[in-house]
Amino acid sequence: MTDQERLIEQAVMAWRPRGSDGLRGHPAWHDLDADGRRQVYAETVQARAIEAAADPEGLSATGRAVLARIRRA
Amino acid sequence: MADLDLHLEAIAAGDPDAFARWVVGAEPRVRASLSSFAAQVDTEAVVQETLLRMWQVAPRVKTDGKGDSLLRLAIRSARNLAIDHLRRARTRPTEIEAIERREWVDPAPPDPLLRRLIHACLEKLPGKPRAAITARLTASGARPDVVLCDEVGMTLNTFLVNVRRARLAVAKCLEAGGAKLPEVPR
Repeated sequence: MTDQERLIEQAVMAWRPRGSDGLRGHPAWHDLDADGRRQVYAETVQARAIEAAADPEGLSATGRAVLARIRRA
Repeated sequence: MADLDLHLEAIAAGDPDAFARWVVGAEPRVRASLSSFAAQVDTEAVVQETLLRMWQVAPRVKTDGKGDSLLRLAIRSARNLAIDHLRRARTRPTEIEAIERREWVDPAPPDPLLRRLIHACLEKLPGKPRAAITARLTASGARPDVVLCDEVGMTLNTFLVNVRRARLAVAKCLEAGGAKLPEVPR
């Protein structure tokens, strides 16, 4: 696995750090060049489709992360 | 595609389950609207922030009879938020305009075959890749990889290698079964 692939794989996940002004970019995403970031976007689209297909309510990890924040509030 | 405003009344009344049903239809379309920003803005953070804001503003949204009122507001908000990120990163105004002008393609609805095949494809994975991707799926974006890898007893590097192997193998298995994963136009 190359360094670029490692960064892409980390940035594809739905977890994002929270700052005082809202959600921030993934640290690994910031270390990628423009091509790597486009690759993250393309792979995220597919990863979310897989997550949504596996979820009983059809929610991706993005949807689950958002709903968890809402239900916790 | 069905008009997502059918969930609006319940969302405005504070029903998170109705919001979940709206998110299922809205999220891929909000993400697609950000495709031209992908090289400059972490679109995952923007999508999540936008969805959280829609939950907050939904009680004040008025339908205009054109359908998908909350979705259209979400797309406008997401793109404005992405533009704010570009401005904060001191992107040149001409570059921002060029990114903003690029059109996007509304995604096709998900292939129903994906849902039918996914669990069989996940079960076919060997132990470590299956453990890694299951950790990601169960965490649902709530915990970072540095925590998840500990939970499954792997180093971060091994965890990432296994998640990647799993994602590629699942995609191959789905395609072999005739299911279509969404493609991102370049």
